[in-house]
Amino acid sequence: MTEINETYKEKISFNKRLIFLYVTFGILGLVFYYQIFSLQISNYSEYEIAAKNNKNEEISVQPLRGIIFDRNGEILVNNVPTFDLITKPFFIDDPDDFLFKISSFLEIDEDDKKAFLSQFEKAKILNKELTLKQSISNEDKARFLVRSHMFENAYIGERYLRNYLYPEIFSHSIGYVGRPNEDELDEIYGLRSLNTKINFTYTNQLIVGKTGLEFIYEDILRGEFGNNLREVDARGKTLDEKISSEPKVGNNLYTSLDLKSHQAAQKAFNNRKGAVVAIDINDGSIVTLFSSPTFSTNQLANGILQKEFDELLLSEEKPFFNRALRGRYPPASSIKPAIAMYGIEEGLIDWNFSIFDEGFFTLPEDGRIYRDWKEGGHGNTNLFKAITQSSNTYFFDLAYRSDINQLKKHLSSLGFGDKACIDCFEEDQVFVPEPSWKMNKHNFGWFKGDTVNMGVGQGYLVSTPIQLAKYAYIIANKGKFFDLSLKKDLVKNEKSIEFNKFSNDDWFKLHESMVNVIEGNTGTARRLREKKNYIVAAKTGTAELVSGDNREQYSETRLDDSLRDHALIIAFGPMPNPRYAVSVVVENGESGGSVAGPVAISVLNSLIQE
Amino acid sequence: MRYLDFKKFSIYYDPYLIISITLLSIIGLFFLYSASDGNTSVLIKQSIFVFFGLILMIILSQPDPQIYYSYSGFFLLISVILVFVAIFFGPEVNGANRWISFGFITLQPSELCKIFLPIFIASYLYGVKLPINLRNTFLTISLILIVFLIVSSQPDLGTAIVILLSGLYVLFLAGLSWTFIGSALAIFVISLPFLWNNFLEPFQRQRIATLFNPDLDPFGSAWNITQSKIAIGSGGIFGKGFGEGTQSHLNFLPETETDFIFAVIAEEFGLVGLTILIGLYFFIFIRCFYLSINARDRFCRLVIGGLSLVFISTLFINIGMVIGLLPVVGMPLPLISQGGSSLISFYIAFGIIISMASHKKLVPR
Repeated sequence: MTEINETYKEKISFNKRLIFLYVTFGILGLVFYYQIFSLQISNYSEYEIAAKNNKNEEISVQPLRGIIFDRNGEILVNNVPTFDLITKPFFIDDPDDFLFKISSFLEIDEDDKKAFLSQFEKAKILNKELTLKQSISNEDKARFLVRSHMFENAYIGERYLRNYLYPEIFSHSIGYVGRPNEDELDEIYGLRSLNTKINFTYTNQLIVGKTGLEFIYEDILRGEFGNNLREVDARGKTLDEKISSEPKVGNNLYTSLDLKSHQAAQKAFNNRKGAVVAIDINDGSIVTLFSSPTFSTNQLANGILQKEFDELLLSEEKPFFNRALRGRYPPASSIKPAIAMYGIEEGLIDWNFSIFDEGFFTLPEDGRIYRDWKEGGHGNTNLFKAITQSSNTYFFDLAYRSDINQLKKHLSSLGFGDKACIDCFEEDQVFVPEPSWKMNKHNFGWFKGDTVNMGVGQGYLVSTPIQLAKYAYIIANKGKFFDLSLKKDLVKNEKSIEFNKFSNDDWFKLHESMVNVIEGNTGTARRLREKKNYIVAAKTGTAELVSGDNREQYSETRLDDSLRDHALIIAFGPMPNPRYAVSVVVENGESGGSVAGPVAISVLNSLIQE
Repeated sequence: MRYLDFKKFSIYYDPYLIISITLLSIIGLFFLYSASDGNTSVLIKQSIFVFFGLILMIILSQPDPQIYYSYSGFFLLISVILVFVAIFFGPEVNGANRWISFGFITLQPSELCKIFLPIFIASYLYGVKLPINLRNTFLTISLILIVFLIVSSQPDLGTAIVILLSGLYVLFLAGLSWTFIGSALAIFVISLPFLWNNFLEPFQRQRIATLFNPDLDPFGSAWNITQSKIAIGSGGIFGKGFGEGTQSHLNFLPETETDFIFAVIAEEFGLVGLTILIGLYFFIFIRCFYLSINARDRFCRLVIGGLSLVFISTLFINIGMVIGLLPVVGMPLPLISQGGSSLISFYIAFGIIISMASHKKLVPR
């Protein structure tokens, strides 16, 4: 009986304990089921989104930049397709081995290899593509394509290059594109992270305007990034890619630049140093903005060897230096019409007032001598003759009688010491000297002689070619002007200079005297007369870099090229209803009339004789 | 009806278990086909295991439980020897020596321990009087710990834990005294910090830590759990459909054919599919519960109870891990996950259960 009792007791105990365990698991099961329920029902939407985010990657698609046109609709800058060998580091286990395999049938530059290896790890981590070789030839393309089955981690992609059709003549106006720096990246992507995945359209990947119009009108040209939705697996392999929004191609930029005049300018300059700026008098738009020597923007934008770049950068010719906007030149005699306007406005002279020019001006205060360029002087000289033959003595005398502060005000109203252009890149506004400036800068008081020097555009007075062009434009248009600009059809307000005494008749006479600079038999630029078949008004200038006290000294300085005088000219035509104003500076060109003049006429010819 | 009588030859079987297990196995093949990305060779291999496993289950149902009682020590000894063979002669895979290779298949002998250890303990405790005295308790626990340590040295913590549990279940069901359970629990809790620092590998500690704070390691072990939760959650009520799970087919889920197959099922068949699956498991538990309550003697009771709890534990550890409630440990979803060893071991277990359920003790006249 005890055994049966024992068995019964054991069975009851077993049952209780089994029930205990099953109930424990039952409770645990309910907890599990609740967890599954909360995952699949309560938090369904959250996990659904998470699953979609997992497999979908947003890809930014780079837009093409807008095309840049000249004022006649000629394409100056566009985008040309090219083929690149693009790699996917994410799927490359051994980069050296990969390069070895590729190199067995494709020639890859050591520089490209180095660049590839240095960026490899980062690109691999971020699953970004890496371009191994740019602009590959059709032959290389075919060579790769027959072997493409061996390279799942590389492909030939169609990309674009920013193409400058006239790479040298618009270097200083249109500028070039380049890789964005971090600030620019920030600006382009706003809040997007630097790890944003991008489908590049350009061989050079991200590009942004670095100088010139490419920089100034970056917002117009850039366009908008599109978006693709890419389905990937956990390894990052693309399974499918759908377009969610197409990239918006950048807007085209229509400029006021004139292709032919630039070609003429380049030809006329023939690699001499200097600049030419020409303005359409109708609306103040810049038609020519050329600085010489120049460089290839295609090289800058699409890859230049560091060595070549350094050569350009360190070259004594300074090809990167934008002489048209930043070159500081004494205006020299080309300032004389401005001084004349001042004299008439202030009642210091009129067209009848004359002096006897014996070849020099003596400063009454200390007897210091200021020489004319012509030994023996011009004799009896009125204003008309003083402009046509460029008498220094006449303007020394006029300047001597001027108030420097009033003169500064007048020169400022003609655009000196201020930015001339509203959409030019890094224009130097320079300054008009005055007593307080000299005190600050040189710790010296203003001498009367300083004003006298300014009367012939020497001394402390400097200007840029674009300022000279604007000044010529204001004279040509009789005091009315628009701010200068490079973009076509820019809405601007017309401005004008207010005069009390300087009358319409004075404008007429001033123009006439400047016409005589070329057309008159004694004009300083009379040799230009035969080079054109319309009438041009002009004023030449020769900027002395070293002031020699005597002729012997002067001859010595002429032997050194870089110390030779700069040749200048401002001109406008055709007269009597001028359409274009132009300024030319030829560094170390010596003679405004015979060196700078022909350049100005070439440019005017190309503009006027169409 | 416990057996079919073909004149002199009888077949012992339990219709409920056989039908539900067969059904579960076939559904499992279906799930596995999707989880393996439509890999037919995986499917064919698994089908062969299922087919022969079911036959093995029927065969093992035929002997009288007395056979298992008499040879339980022998079976356990063979199993442990095979574990040693795996440790010393087996191929090393991912730093572990768990397998014995037979050319075309590799088997994991530790899976057998979780069957034969509880059976041996049941046979040992068969005649022991209640309450179980300290000597027997210590002997049993020592045996359990020895087998546990051998298997965990492979290393294979998942299987070792199930083996530990399988032994303890039988000991508990056989009537382990409550005072002993109480004091053992107290000692375990007190020594937890010691075990944490000295017994667990760093990666195991990490797995437990991330369970409570997934942000600790978003790309390491927590990554798997996060992806698994996303898979389950995004399945919703009806799931994404057969073969449509993005988490599993785009490789976000790890180990889709084995440990994480539950997440694949959840993603593709949703709450409805899971409920049906869990319902089938639940049916098997209830049947096993019924069979153990009505078993013919103490040995059979303990074996059916113990083995069914091994089955339940495996299921709970797997699901608990996949849904993010338990730390990550290698554990298959019973009867469904790819892998012959686990599959075969459960067919053996159910074969023995059916044998014990269908053989009635001959009542002495």
